[in-house]
Amino acid sequence: MYQATKIVIITERTILDGVTKLIEQGGATGYTHVEAGGKGSRGVRSAIRPGISGVMANVKIEAIVRDKAKAEAIITSVSEAYFQNYSGIAYVEPVEILRPNKFEV
Amino acid sequence: MDMITDILTGFVSQMQKPTLAFLIGGMALAAFGSKLEIPEPVYKFIVFLLLMKVGLGAGISVRAADIVELAVPAVAAALVGIAIVLFGGQTLARLRGVTQVDAMATAGLFGAVSASTLAASMAMLDEEGIAYEGFIGALYPFMDIAALVTAIVLARLSAERKAAANISGQPGGAAALTVGEGHGNSNAQMVRGILLDTFRSPAISALLLGLALGIFARPDSVYESFYDILFRGLLSILMLIMGMEAWARLSELRRVAHAYVAYGLLAPLVHGVFGFAAGLFVHQITGFSGGGVVLLAVMAASSSDISGPPTLRGALPEANPSSYVGTSTGLGTPVAILSIPLWIILADMFIGV
Repeated sequence: MYQATKIVIITERTILDGVTKLIEQGGATGYTHVEAGGKGSRGVRSAIRPGISGVMANVKIEAIVRDKAKAEAIITSVSEAYFQNYSGIAYVEPVEILRPNKFEV
Repeated sequence: MDMITDILTGFVSQMQKPTLAFLIGGMALAAFGSKLEIPEPVYKFIVFLLLMKVGLGAGISVRAADIVELAVPAVAAALVGIAIVLFGGQTLARLRGVTQVDAMATAGLFGAVSASTLAASMAMLDEEGIAYEGFIGALYPFMDIAALVTAIVLARLSAERKAAANISGQPGGAAALTVGEGHGNSNAQMVRGILLDTFRSPAISALLLGLALGIFARPDSVYESFYDILFRGLLSILMLIMGMEAWARLSELRRVAHAYVAYGLLAPLVHGVFGFAAGLFVHQITGFSGGGVVLLAVMAASSSDISGPPTLRGALPEANPSSYVGTSTGLGTPVAILSIPLWIILADMFIGV
């Protein structure tokens, strides 16, 4: 197994395109996103009934990069671009990966 | 006195009609804490079908309509959209606890059009046997886009003015002025961005596709055998969803200023009067039908709940979505739908339907 870093960003679905663009620009080779629900400083957000407009819908985005510094740079750029006005939680986790070439540019 | 009794009895009988009854039923279910859930893909599909029906129907009629008959109400619809936003800037924006950007976002949504409300009013007119111009659906984008663009541009301009005022208060204010001059270009770019975003929104793109197919293709057979037949049944489900949604969004309003509650309850009626007056004016010029006047009033009274909010969230990130979505979906939409009978009665009194 090989060491790598996973970025996790839970944020509004409206900005999904913008966030994934920053993730790719930051050097990640891909990402995964799923509908998310939960509770935070802005109240409860439902994944099943997110509200008809979709602006109350959340997503959880994950991406894996080999280099921890790269991971931190990505979440910093996302935070600077969006988190002043959009809800967001971001963190990194150490992970072990099977095929390192999948995560190298 | 007779008039008031007439309005009241008319109103009660309207409440029993499917459109309003399903809306109230949805609100009652949500208030009761029912676990009933209608999944997101289902209502997205329903909204798409309703918009295709409205678009196709309008497109098919546009073929036969002459240009003046079409252009006058289209201009009126766009002007009403702009007037609603300006009115919001003079009222809601000045109330306590409301920021300029939140007020503009809310007024923008109220100026924009709700597909579900428009479809509901068409169904009601059909039931009453009141005729209206088939091309009316084609007016939707005019009001919708005019309102959203006006609201976003005004909010952006006021934010810039505020920023410029902060800078010019300090030494080096002249530098801020020269920066301000360069904004003409970026404003045009901003408007282009908003327009592109609006045209790509699910509601407007479905409606425009329907319109284009109606005008350039011959979809009459599929319109009559599919869209027109499904319309009423699907609308009843959508009304149920709107009722449940309205109740759910009302809770968002608990955390914002009381001014939004007053605006959400009263603005649809004032806006409806704007639309109604514009409709009467068009009636004078082109002989616009009473049903057409009703639909223009309903479009003005309605507020966008599906396509408007994501556009605003993207264009005005500083605005608080709890305030504008809560006000629009929680109060604006139910008030607008419940007010439909009022416009029918008024149109009957003024010009006869």
